[in-house]
This record gives sequence, C-alpha cells and structure tokens, in this order.
Amino acid sequence: MRHKHETSKMKIRKLLACSVLTLLAAGVSVQAAEMTKYYAKSGSKMRMEGTSNIHDWQVEGTLIGGYFEVGSNFPSEPGQPATPGKIEAHAEPFIMVRSLKSVEKDGKPYSDKMDDVMYEKLKAQDNPKIVYHLTEFTVKESAKSKDAPYVCEAKGQLVVGGVTNQITMPVNVLPLGEKKMKISGTTTVKMTDFKIDPPAPKIAMGMIKTGDEVKLIFDWMVAQRSPPTAAAK
Amino acid sequence: MNENETNVLDFNRRDFLRSGSVATLMTMLGGVELFADTNAAPSGETKIKPVKQKVAVIGLGAWGREMLNTLAVVEEADVAGICDTYAASVRRAASLAPNAVQTDNYKAILENKDIKSVVVATPTHQHKEIVLAALKAGKHVYCEAPMASSIEDARAIATAAKAAKQQVFQVGLQLRADPQRHFLVPFIRSGAVGNMLSAKAQYHKKQSWRATSPKPEREKELNWRLSKETSAGLIAELGSHAIDQAAWFFNAQPVAVTGLGNLALWKDGRDVPDTVQAVFEFPGGVVLTYDATLANSFDGDFAMFYGTDAAVMLRESKAWLFKEVDCPLLGWEVYASKEVFYKETGIVLKANASKSVPANAAQAQESPFSNTPLFYALQVFLKNGTDVSAKLEDATNLLGPDDAEGIAAEVAKVHRRAAAGYLEGLQTAVTTIKSNEAILSSQRIVLKPEWYELG
Repeated sequence: MRHKHETSKMKIRKLLACSVLTLLAAGVSVQAAEMTKYYAKSGSKMRMEGTSNIHDWQVEGTLIGGYFEVGSNFPSEPGQPATPGKIEAHAEPFIMVRSLKSVEKDGKPYSDKMDDVMYEKLKAQDNPKIVYHLTEFTVKESAKSKDAPYVCEAKGQLVVGGVTNQITMPVNVLPLGEKKMKISGTTTVKMTDFKIDPPAPKIAMGMIKTGDEVKLIFDWMVAQRSPPTAAAK
Repeated sequence: MNENETNVLDFNRRDFLRSGSVATLMTMLGGVELFADTNAAPSGETKIKPVKQKVAVIGLGAWGREMLNTLAVVEEADVAGICDTYAASVRRAASLAPNAVQTDNYKAILENKDIKSVVVATPTHQHKEIVLAALKAGKHVYCEAPMASSIEDARAIATAAKAAKQQVFQVGLQLRADPQRHFLVPFIRSGAVGNMLSAKAQYHKKQSWRATSPKPEREKELNWRLSKETSAGLIAELGSHAIDQAAWFFNAQPVAVTGLGNLALWKDGRDVPDTVQAVFEFPGGVVLTYDATLANSFDGDFAMFYGTDAAVMLRESKAWLFKEVDCPLLGWEVYASKEVFYKETGIVLKANASKSVPANAAQAQESPFSNTPLFYALQVFLKNGTDVSAKLEDATNLLGPDDAEGIAAEVAKVHRRAAAGYLEGLQTAVTTIKSNEAILSSQRIVLKPEWYELG
C-alpha cells in the first residue's frame, strides 16, 4: 500500500520532472538551442522624422544591412506559436549614412544642401554607418493571427556619429513566408544625446532651427539564405 | 511654440512684403531655398565639402576646354583624366587640369578603374564609338549635344544608355539642368502667358568656324563642322538647345519642319550653310521659328515664348515677363524688379529669391562665379554619378553580390536629379538632323512620331 502511495508520488514527481524537462526542452531560452540567421534584403525602409521652427522634416533611407539571428524555435513562418519571455537573439543592423536623403512629405527629394548639413552633423566622414547592437530581445505577445506580427521588445546600443546610447524599443517581427521576415520598430531619440547640436542652417530669410527630438521608424526586410543548390546531374 | 521662443525668421511684415515678393512666389511654387552656410557658424563648424567624383574629359577642342574651365569650379569634380587624339590639344588643356592623367587614347581612360565618369566632347560624328565603349566599361557618361550626326547613331547611343540601368547617362542639353528653366516650366505651363501662341529663338554670331592647321589632314579633322558628311550644320550644332527647350516647354515634339539655308558669307569651299532658318510646327498650331547665322551678331542668342496674356524672354540664365495690357494682375508683380527694353517693360523673373532680399537681411553669400547652365549640368551629372555608384557599392556590400535582383531594385530607387537623358538626346537629334535635311533641300518634312520613340 505504501509502495503504491510512494509509487504514485514518485509517478507524480516523475511526471512533474518529465513535464519540466519537456517544458525546458520546448522553451526558447536555452543556450544549446540552434540559431537561425536572417540576412538583409532589399525593400527595407528607415525613416527619420524631425521638426524645426519652419516646418517638419523627414529623411529616408532604403538599405538596412546586417543580420538578425534568433533561436530556431522562434517562428519563421506565419502562424507559428511563440512563448512570451526573453529569448536569445543577436542583431547587428546598420545603415550607410550616405544613403540617407531628405525628402518632402510626398517622398520627393527635398534638398541636397540639407543632406550635406545632415552628413556633416552625423560626422559621416569618420562614421560612415549608423549601427545598432542588440543586447536583449524579449517576446511580449505571440501573433494574434497569421497576418499579425509578434510583439517584442529590443534593448540595444545605437551608435550615431561615434556616440553610443542604450535604447529600448518595441519591435514587431512579422514572418512573411518563404523564410522572409519584416522587423519593424519605432523609437524617439534626441540629437543631443548623441552629442549632435541640432542644425541651424542659414537661409535667405533667416535661420532654420531644428528640433532636438527625432523619431526613427524602420522596416527591416531580412531572409534566410538558401543553401547552395546541389550540382546538376 | 512657447512665448519665449522668438520668431527666428526675425522679419517684420513690411520687410517681407517689400522684399519677399519673388520669395513669396517661390514659396508658392515650391518652398524655401536653402543656401550653403558660407558664414562661419557660431559653434565653429567647418564648411561642408561635397563628395568628389573622378571624371575624365575626352575631346579637348574649344568646347572640351570650356568644359574643363567649368569643371575647375564644380566642387564635386576631380578631373583625373584628359584625352585627345591630337597631342597639341592635350598640352593646351593640361594647364586646366593639372592633376589629370594625359592620354591620346580614350581606351586608357576607360580602363582606369578610378575614373568613374567620362565627358565626351569630341566632334559629333565620333560620339557613338566612344560613348558605347564607355557605357560598356561601366562608366557614367555625359555625351555632348548633338548626340550624334545620324539618326542611326543616335538610336544606338540611346538604346545602350537605356540598358545601362546602373549607370548615369546624360546628354549635353544643359538647359534641362538649369534651375532658372525649372522655375519657368511650371510657371509657363500653369498659364502665366495665357494660351501659348508661338516661340522664336535665334543664334547670331559673326564667326567663320573655320580653323587652320599647317597639316592638311589635321585641318580637315578640325573643320568637321563645315562638311555635311560629318555635321548637321548650324541647326544641330547651335540650335539643339533652343529646339529642345521649346519641346520641353511645350511638352510635345514637332510634327513637321520647313527649312531654308544659304551660304551667304563664308564661301571657302564648305558645303554647310552659314545662315539657316527653320519653322517647326508643334501640335495645336503652335510654331517655333529658329534662325541662326555666322554672318551677323545682332542680339546674340535668346528665346521668346509668346502667349495670349504675356511673352517671356530668355537670355542665358535670365528671364523677363512682358505682359499684355489686358492681362490679369499677378499680385506679386507689383513688387518685382522691372527692366526696360526699348519700349517694352519686362518684369524680371528670377529663380534665386535672395537677390530680391535687401542686403542687410540677406544672410547667404552668393558664389563669386555666375553659375551657367553648363555648370549645373555638369554638377548634376557628377552628383547623380556619385549617388548611383554609392548605392551600387552599398547594395552589393549589404545584400551580398549574389543578390542581383535586390541590388538592381535598390539602384533603381536612387533619385536622379533632373537633366537631359538619352530620350531627350534622341528626340533632339531626330529633330535637328531632319531639320538639316529640310534646310539643305528647302523643303517641308513631316516628322513621324515613331522616330521619337525608343522601343
């Protein structure tokens, strides 16, 4: 009788142990998990929105380079489940400063001279790239449907003009099928945090004074690389 | 804005109205113009230097040397090579480009990996071979106008340029890069002159065009403009710009051309007329008359556009509006500068708003050099080349060289600043070459629309 009890207890313990192990195995944050790497593709967009005493301004770039690496059990196709929590991920996206161009609200180019002012402020000569290093990645919410993104939070270092700042921002990860993903996010930074004096270029009728806050909005297209195809027969 | 923030524009209303009339017009037409901050900023920033592009000039005759003169003041230009088959021309040009590699063979220029852009300023009939080779070598190409001496050659150049999607091709119709014209096109098309009636353009300059050389073969080479075998004459060599300008302003190609020509003065054995007239029929009954002569200099070169409400005169980079008495009042004109020509009062049309701002309020310094259309055309060419090359390099590095589709997609997104491209080059070549035929045969020639299209 005692045996039976103990056996039951032991069974329960075993069951618990097995469940825990299974959960652990299924869990996303294990060091031994395999990683999947996603590489930069065409179709990205980086948009910066700022203000000034005359009118709002916007800058756009279309090429975000780098890679995003995440555990292989993170959803790679639409509709897969994701467990909320911190997960192991690496990412090193970057953008070439010279690819950033000022645009009108309708997307048409705005001004070469404003671009030159921007490149100078970003110290493009010595710092040709704006770089981000991901340090922590957390899944907040699984996707609500096949077309909806996984809501995550990214903590990382943003390096602009040689100056590094820690930023935390919400990031949406949307698998697009065919091993492609769109990683989107928005954050607001201050030029002065990066030791950049908001530009105040002179114009015919006075001076433009730019606002310190800049909103960054990005869509980063990444995809797994297909392995090289086997040689033809 | 809180109360402590002053209006940095720091202008009182009267100043604005008095001086800002053209500026108001500019603002209505498209925004405030920015100027390079040539005054040292209080924070002690250094002056912004644009990125330089290594460029070579092939063809060092009078016009090639003029281009070198202009490139010397274009900050984006780093003239790294000069080339001419004639050694004396190279020597003559050397002082205008002291850091340039000198060669008599254009292929050496094309093999030079550092030189990303080439300007082709050889005689017209020699453009094709060099342009096609340069495009094949992956260079950005600026091909002088007229693009070619035969329609066949013009089509070959245009076809190759169209296919070179990751390179810049610009034809030397420099007015298409001129900010003054960019300001005028929407102004005129929006009906400022009323309904367009006609246009007139002329080029008058008493000059022989004949060059001499002790060597007979060299003399024949130098005088390619005086032989109808190698040149479509004055209408092409002088008229291309005015004809392209009219097609641009009218937004249409001519449907017929009638020509007349005469060798009136320089009877030195040439078979190219020294005095020509051509009448171009545009859709809707609009007509352009063009006359050019090497036998008289009166009134130089200028263009007129006549409408039911007003006329516009263009000379070099200046423009004036001459209104009819019954034309509605354009509010801003009350404050605009005016200049009197004989009995007509012209309202000055200026793209550069700062000229109207009183000296004490003007913050921007003007360049000590007057910026000619050629300056803008070359600057735009180099800037476009820099942007396209940079995007190609960045896309190849960021996406990997195997992602040809992605690289092509990214390069296609590069905005190319407005300038004359292969289509304008082809269309103007067709019009001028056909006009020359009309001139030489005193005929009216119908211009077929399909000639103006590139498949």
